[in-house]
Parts: sequence; C-alpha cells; structure tokens
Amino acid sequence: MKLQPTGGTPSPFEAIRIVSTSKLPANDGHDWSAEMVAVAQRRDRASFMRIYDHFMPRVCLYLKGMGSTAAIAEELAQEALLRLWQRAASYDPALSRVSTWLFRIARNLHIDRVRKETGWMLVQHALEAEEADHDGRTGSSAEAYAEHTRLKACIDRLPATQARLVRMSYFEAKSHHEIAEELGMPLGTVKSSLRRAFLKLQADVRGAA
Amino acid sequence: MKPAHHLDPATVVAFAAGALSEAMAVVAATHLAGCSHCHEQVRDAERIGGVLVEQQQPDGAGAARREKLRAAMLERLDETPVEAPGLAPALPAAPDPDRLPAPLHPYFGTSFGALKWRWMAPGVHCIRSAGTGGGQLFMLRITPGRSMPLHSHGRGELTQVLRGAYDDVLGHFGPGDVADLDSEVMHQPVTAAGVPCICVAALDAPLRFPGWLARRLQPLVGL
Repeated sequence: MKLQPTGGTPSPFEAIRIVSTSKLPANDGHDWSAEMVAVAQRRDRASFMRIYDHFMPRVCLYLKGMGSTAAIAEELAQEALLRLWQRAASYDPALSRVSTWLFRIARNLHIDRVRKETGWMLVQHALEAEEADHDGRTGSSAEAYAEHTRLKACIDRLPATQARLVRMSYFEAKSHHEIAEELGMPLGTVKSSLRRAFLKLQADVRGAA
Repeated sequence: MKPAHHLDPATVVAFAAGALSEAMAVVAATHLAGCSHCHEQVRDAERIGGVLVEQQQPDGAGAARREKLRAAMLERLDETPVEAPGLAPALPAAPDPDRLPAPLHPYFGTSFGALKWRWMAPGVHCIRSAGTGGGQLFMLRITPGRSMPLHSHGRGELTQVLRGAYDDVLGHFGPGDVADLDSEVMHQPVTAAGVPCICVAALDAPLRFPGWLARRLQPLVGL
C-alpha cells in the first residue's frame, strides 16, 4: 500500500479539540485522509468515528437533496460510511480524497436503490475495472490535500449563475434539460455555463502546482 | 484506438453528478469505458462533488437522533462485510470483437452477433431498449454510404460509434468517438464506405417523468 501519513496528521490532542468543537467551519483544515490511513493501517475506531461525525450529516443532507426521504437518506448514509470502514484497506490517499470516495459511494447507492437504475452499478464496475488497468494519476496525499483546499476556494469564487447550475446538477441531480426548463434558460446556455464552471474548477485543481 | 471526439464537459459534470438520464448515462459510460481522457475528466468532476458534499453546513438539530445512529454505527463495525455477489463483470481472456461494451450488456445483451435488428427504413435497422426509466436508448445499424436526412433534435442527443463510421458537419466519427449534440445542431450524417455503421444513441428526457410520458414522446425525432 502506498500509504504515507503526512505532516497534516492531527495529534490526539488536536483531534479531540476538532471533534469536540460543536460547529465545524466548512473550510476547517482537517486532513481526513490521514484519519483514513489510520483506519486502513490500524483499524483505528476513534479515527473512523471522527470521519463519521463529520461526514454522516453531510452525506445525509446530500442524499435528501437527491430526492431520498429522510429515513432512506439516513439508512443509505449509514451504509455509505460503513462501506468506508469495511473497504478502508483499499483506500489510497494519493488517488482520492475521503470526500470523493464517499461522494461516489453515496451517489451510487442512491442511483442503485432509490432510482433503481439496474445498469448503473454494472456500469460503475465496468469503469472501475477499466480504471484499475490504466491508472495514470500519481501523487501524494499532501498534493491531493492542497488540491482539495484550492478547489474549495475556487467553488466559492464561481459567479452566481454558474454556482447555481453546479449545485442543481450535484445536489438535485437535475439534467441540463430540466435546469433549462426550470430557470427559463436556453439549453445551450445551461450547457455552456456548466462547461465554463467545470473548466474553471478543473484548471484550478490541475493548474496550480 | 484513441477517440477523437469526446464528451462535452457539461455532460461529464452531469454524469458524475448522477444527473444524466439513464439512457444518456449508458451511452456516456460506453464512451468512458474506452476513453481514458474522458474518464479522467469524470474523476475530476467527482472530486468537485466530494468538495461540495463536504462544504454543506448541516444544522445542529436532531442531536438525540444522531447519537442513536452513531451508536448503531459503532455496533456494526464488527460485522463481516457482505460483498454484493456477481456484480463484477467476467472479463474475457482475450478481446472478443463480437463482444459489446460492458455498459450495454443489461440493455442489449453481450454480443453484436445476437442483436435482434428491426427494419426501420431502407438501409436503417434499429433496436430500442425497453429497460430505461428516463430517456430513449437505442442502437442503429446503417448501411455504408448512406445519407441520413438533415435533422436536429429537440433535446440533447448522445451517439457513440461502435463499428464503422460516419461523417457530418462536425467531422469524421469512427469507433470510440462520441457525438455530444445539443438541440441547436443541425446535421446530416453520411455513413462511410466499408462496414455498416453501428451506433448506440440516447435522446434526453426529463429524469422525473419516466414511463408513460417518455413512451409517448416520439423517439428518433426527425430521423
């Protein structure tokens, strides 16, 4: 395993302080992948529960936005976090952030269980098999972490319309067509705005070394 | 085989967000299975999704409920993981030219040879997939050197070439290429000489109106 705990690992003291803060700011400097490494290497329950406390309500909110009832959202969010614990051994901090991993798991659970799109999981498995074959991306956990922080800042700087379209896509799973109808915008404008937003965010993730 | 025509970044975002209709997602995935460039784009879009999920501010309500769920999670940590059986597709030992791309298997079966084509117009055969809740998903087989009527699409259209090729105002589309069109594009594809052109295509439809409405809307607008 390519696990290299970084300097960002909180000491037990810091960790306690972080979890005991009742209201966590969105841009807190916590390096969740370091916690995940502790889970992967030592099956560290305290680390896992810190990840749980931070992400569980967020994943739950996400699933409700996607159209799940409160009860289903809770059930699927629990399931998503449990999978994170169970599959921790295959976590590679250089390849993805904890938040990316959870996002994928939660989205897949939603499409599979709530929308009941039979092909989706098969498609995801086919893509993952493909990915295992040619994974060209390398990097360290520290790089992925810096990237994550830049991305957060860049999302905050998006123009209002672009930010709105991004949110409607990710949090309400609205198609371009539905967004166009709801906002009374031409379909082409929806697509070009989303395109600009994505390219901006992507450039920020990839460009700044 | 490196594709020359890729997914629109707006489609990449919609795919990663789970916001494409099922039909469009199947065609996008068929392209992604053979295109490392677009695959990497999807991974970037998923990173954005992860950050967005993390940026949300949950309210502090329901502390008692949260405590209960937390205790339930702690209890489950000793469970033995249940692996979903039979989900991983069995990969053939050698590349089989008759095998359809894996994302198409639930909708069209596993091989080109077993496809049940239906005549649609001179030189044009079609198979519509029944299994999608949103959007129209179909395969087309068009004889070489045939010109299709000029048309545009009321909604978005996504077409992936599997075999053969065609040319239109946007360029030459061969195996692995995807045409990601929105409603403004008028085009008149002409299939290339040689083998029949086989494509899988999806027309967009509102995700939230599956079933009867999707069935009533005329598929293959303008064809």
